[in-house]
Amino acid sequence: MGMHRKKVLGKSLVILVLTVVALIYIYPVFLMFMNSIKPFGEVVADAIALPKEPTVENITYVVEKINYGSLFLNNVEITLIGIAGIVAFSSIAAYILDRNRGRYSSVVYTLIITPMLIPFQTIMITLLKAMNVIHLDQSKVGLGIQYWGFGIPMATFIFFNFMKTIPKEIDESAHIDGASTFRTFISVIFPLLKPVTVTVIVLDVMWIWNDFLLPLLMVNSSPKTKTLVLAAYTFVGQMNTKWQYAMCAMSLTVIPSIIAFIFLQKYIVEGVVAGAIKG
Amino acid sequence: MKQQSHRKRKQLWETVLFTLPALILISVVMYIPFLMSGYYSLTEWNGIAKNPTFIGFANFAAIFGGSSNFLYSLGFTVKYTLLFVIASNILALALATALTKKFRLANVYRGIFFIPYIMSMTIVGFIWKFIFTQGLDKIYDLLPIACLKWSWLGDPKIAFYSVVLVGVWQGLGFYIVLYIAGLQAVPADVLEAATVDGASGRQRFFKVVLPLLGPSFTTCIFMSLTNGLKVFDIILALTKGGPGTATYSTTMQIYQEAFTNNNYGMGSAQAILYFIVVMVITQLTLKLMGSKEVEL
Repeated sequence: MGMHRKKVLGKSLVILVLTVVALIYIYPVFLMFMNSIKPFGEVVADAIALPKEPTVENITYVVEKINYGSLFLNNVEITLIGIAGIVAFSSIAAYILDRNRGRYSSVVYTLIITPMLIPFQTIMITLLKAMNVIHLDQSKVGLGIQYWGFGIPMATFIFFNFMKTIPKEIDESAHIDGASTFRTFISVIFPLLKPVTVTVIVLDVMWIWNDFLLPLLMVNSSPKTKTLVLAAYTFVGQMNTKWQYAMCAMSLTVIPSIIAFIFLQKYIVEGVVAGAIKG
Repeated sequence: MKQQSHRKRKQLWETVLFTLPALILISVVMYIPFLMSGYYSLTEWNGIAKNPTFIGFANFAAIFGGSSNFLYSLGFTVKYTLLFVIASNILALALATALTKKFRLANVYRGIFFIPYIMSMTIVGFIWKFIFTQGLDKIYDLLPIACLKWSWLGDPKIAFYSVVLVGVWQGLGFYIVLYIAGLQAVPADVLEAATVDGASGRQRFFKVVLPLLGPSFTTCIFMSLTNGLKVFDIILALTKGGPGTATYSTTMQIYQEAFTNNNYGMGSAQAILYFIVVMVITQLTLKLMGSKEVEL
């Protein structure tokens, strides 16, 4: 009994400490949201005080100033293009590489996954020049296409590891029914890849949506192609002392991610874990 | 026999066809720029002139002669990475252990630690800049702890730790969920057996759970290592490498050399060296950990 009570007490203590740590941990995010609805004077007077007269003026100002709606759509467009290509090209490559094993396919597989090891900063200088030559810079579609190349190595790796768990008999029976390899992939194999497709989508959406350096190099020069994070970066730089606007722009940038996380926490966490363990 | 070879040929043809888009796309954004970096590292080029001037290994000689900030930035990056890896893994493991206890709001708590990880690192840098410059003074008024009065971004020595703190804060949720997954994979019967054998809670953790976490350690240490070596966005938003050059990472150095100073040749040389350093460090770590890992 004494042992049991000690155990319960120990657990309550752990939870108490955890609660304090969690509150401190999330405080910076809370502070950002709070200051984004405070008028200028209140932010300057006391950054940590609760808003006395909350205002939406900051929000309307920032939304209009940075053209939030169109930036949001830019983000959506770039992310969708990126994801579609990564999933399509990686899944089919992984499928064929797993089914047609041989010397050629093992060389190709190595060539496809090795770039996971190349840090982006190693190639960014010359990438800018190369993309300029083939006109993939300064465009949302071009940026989306670049994400295909950057995303395929890891995605192929994840798809390839999962392919092993799908029995060959499944596509063989489709073949006997007269379906081509491509047809078999589309209608039989791809639907079976669903769990791992979710993993790839989760990882790549988080990455592309929040990416900074590649968009900075490729699409920063025009508001038509800018992403949310880029606009927030520039805007905050200009609003160095007008913290209420800066905080508001930052809040508006992260709110879509936080809302998505609240609704999809299970999928996001599972995807991130699966991606890291397989990756 | 003939049919066999026909089938073989068809298979090869399909392999080529279905992997070609992937190969082309990867080559265009990674392999070709990588080879170009190799070439430009041997040249002097300002990005505007039509043709770069070939100068052999002069860029590398200059780097090792200490004429650029590169070696210093490498030192910073290694120091940053070391502290980042240690702090991230210890804290994540501790929090993961607490978060695997069964209690009502466990999921909400896990979510809280994960939120910074889903936010853009640039924004994270700005949030903390605000806290360091505007918030801490006010918190000090309520809670007079000496460290709140420090000049977190102004003092070169402290700025190093500020950058690590923010980096760890942003990434911790990721390592926490990986350790949680590892902890949950520890079989209950093994733990029970240890309890029956009279192991205390602490003994169980250090003698049973930790050795079984091998794969989680490998993953988390490797991921934190590569993330640490790549640090860029957070520093750009938080300190821009300052004060002075106190928080100048290698990635920042390469970026500035190329895009601010327009020394594309020199920048490429630094990029190549950076690549070699990252490869050597990550491969050595993998080898080292591969030999240590305990398989279940």
